[in-house]
Amino acid sequence: MEQSTTDGALFGFLTAVDAPGHGLFGGYLVVDARGRPVEFLCTAPLKVTRAQQILYGATLHGHLHGQQVGSTLLAECESQPLVVLTDFDPLLTVRSHTSLPVAAVKRRDEAGDVGFVVGSVRVIATAEAESVVRERLAELAAAVDLCEPFERIRLAIEEAQRMTPPARAA
Amino acid sequence: MSGPAVLQVLRSGALALPSVELLPSVGLAVPRPPVLRMPVTAVPAAVLRMDVEIPRPTVRRFRFERTEQPLAAAPAPRVAPRPPRPQASDRPARRARLVPPKDVVKPEEKFFYLLQPDLETILQADRLEFPRQPFPFQLDGMAFLVPRHGAVLADEMGLGKSMQAISSIRLLVRTGQARRVLVVCPKGLVSNWTRELADWAPELVVAVIEGDPQRRRWQWTLPDVPVKVANYEVVVRDRDLVAELGLTFDLVVLDEAQRIKNRAGQTSKAVRAIQRNRSWALTGTPVENSADDLVGLFEFVAPGHLNERLPPRALGAAVADHVLRRTKEKVLTDMPPRLNRDERIELTAEQRETYRRAEEEGVLRLADMGREATIRHVFELVLRLKQICNFDTATGESAKLDCLEAELEEVQASGRKALVFSQWVETLGRLEERLARFGALQYHGGMSTQARDETIRRFRHDPRHSVLLLSYGAGAVGLNLQFSQYVFLFDRWWNPAIEDQAINRAHRIGAAGTVTVTRFLSVDTIEERIDEVLRKKRDLSDAILSEAGTPAASGLTVDELFALFKLAPPTRAAA
Repeated sequence: MEQSTTDGALFGFLTAVDAPGHGLFGGYLVVDARGRPVEFLCTAPLKVTRAQQILYGATLHGHLHGQQVGSTLLAECESQPLVVLTDFDPLLTVRSHTSLPVAAVKRRDEAGDVGFVVGSVRVIATAEAESVVRERLAELAAAVDLCEPFERIRLAIEEAQRMTPPARAA
Repeated sequence: MSGPAVLQVLRSGALALPSVELLPSVGLAVPRPPVLRMPVTAVPAAVLRMDVEIPRPTVRRFRFERTEQPLAAAPAPRVAPRPPRPQASDRPARRARLVPPKDVVKPEEKFFYLLQPDLETILQADRLEFPRQPFPFQLDGMAFLVPRHGAVLADEMGLGKSMQAISSIRLLVRTGQARRVLVVCPKGLVSNWTRELADWAPELVVAVIEGDPQRRRWQWTLPDVPVKVANYEVVVRDRDLVAELGLTFDLVVLDEAQRIKNRAGQTSKAVRAIQRNRSWALTGTPVENSADDLVGLFEFVAPGHLNERLPPRALGAAVADHVLRRTKEKVLTDMPPRLNRDERIELTAEQRETYRRAEEEGVLRLADMGREATIRHVFELVLRLKQICNFDTATGESAKLDCLEAELEEVQASGRKALVFSQWVETLGRLEERLARFGALQYHGGMSTQARDETIRRFRHDPRHSVLLLSYGAGAVGLNLQFSQYVFLFDRWWNPAIEDQAINRAHRIGAAGTVTVTRFLSVDTIEERIDEVLRKKRDLSDAILSEAGTPAASGLTVDELFALFKLAPPTRAAA
């Protein structure tokens, strides 16, 4: 894994898109402190059957997003970011599969008063990780709108959809 | 009487209901009914096993090389204050993103562009400051150029094509995608380009290729100079030298690229011979006369992509991903308006008489020549008549000039500046004499580059000079004269696209107020007839070429020139 240094700090952006007809795509973008892409990973679409939905019940999202998508993407990534951000709450369950601090990012007008404000967004981390996340994001937030990289991932996933035939259920 | 029937379980596991005699005393036996057997043994249930395991998805991974060049050596740019970063819940309304061209097929390359930050973020993060904040459409233009290897930026004049190209060059150099860039432009625009490069990319070292052959050889091979600027004539002259030196450029940018529309011309051949990875063409008029112009341009931009046999609409569709065309009307909704007015001039009595005589004699001469009459003969007559519309060759009278003088009184009184265009340098000279009290200055191709630069400087800064007299040839392209509020077309050019270029010297980004354009048109003369033909052609071309969003403008064909005098063209006459 590429170790991040102060000069070469890296940041991870993790999200997922449920595409009708295809299934769930996971996307993970690692950028440098100026927001430039360093590494990008995306999953093949994952489609869950009705039976799996029923049988997993309330545990489905945690398993699907946290373990199958989030954990897989983080494990396959060669880069070692300082912090992982997601704009998709179900992916926060990846916390139990990684030692990296994982925080949620929301537009200020969508997040109420929780977490802390960085630029135009609000970041919500666990109590233990909050001070670390706040410190590590300062450099990136000066250059990049922290919600913007998710737009890029979604554009890339759209492109991946065009390159992928519709999926059958797992 | 026997007891009730008992349900029995047989060995086979079936149930049996025995028949009974219902009337034994009579002795009539009721036939035994068939036994109904029902299996009751429990059949083992089939087990449906469902695999509830959700498999781990396969993952595709892409790594991107980081090649940014350090900016340490860059001089401090002269920077205008930037707008503040978005605060609080501000959401960027729209972002200019690099969109990969449709001909990019490798997923790695597609994702490389798709995953780049938006341009605003790149510029902010890389501390690439600009002397003026680019308009959103200019950022879109950069987002169009940067990922493309073959591109035509065909914005209407005045929208900042050179600024968009320079900023894109800057990004390519910054990200290590370009180390050797060649800008080719008309001779008169070399100093304009060096000035714009210094403004918009102050950290880039620029060399101009000029001077004697020995000096040029040295300049072509200068190392560590990311941007070189050469005029078209130099490129034609040094074609063999460039080949001999084995020069390869990461990017070649052609300004006023309509110059290479003629594929058989030396200019086209010379620029196409330059070894290069990327080819960008800047032109406000990619189609000047016919669709062939575009085919000629694409021989440089994307060789082999087009051929002249394609019908106009198919041509438009084929170039759509390579051509970006915006008009001021579409993108600069807050730009000061341009007021057009046709000033219809009645010739003076003496001018009219001179005109009548010249036309009658000329037409008679052409008629006498019959099949011998050529396009050159007709052209000469047209030019002669147009000159009389400007000045009476016998008396020097000029109804147009009388009108112009009156208009300029008002311009000067209001402290404004005016541009006056003519196709003849001789006309400019006569105008300068009569308009001396307005501090009229001349600008034309017969002047040296230094003299022309000095003229522009004086006109721009010295309030005593209210009028600049320009030839269409030298003054229609590349100049930024947006501090002028009035444009007069003293005579008309053959091609409305050139007239538009002239007008757009003043009506461009940075224009301080409404730009008033006055086109002089002598009533009941050749000028009116030409205007009518061009107007019709322009409407038609606009309709045909709307597919690619390309501009349309046409000059006169041989047929149309002969038709001005109700004469048949030579080929038809011969047939």
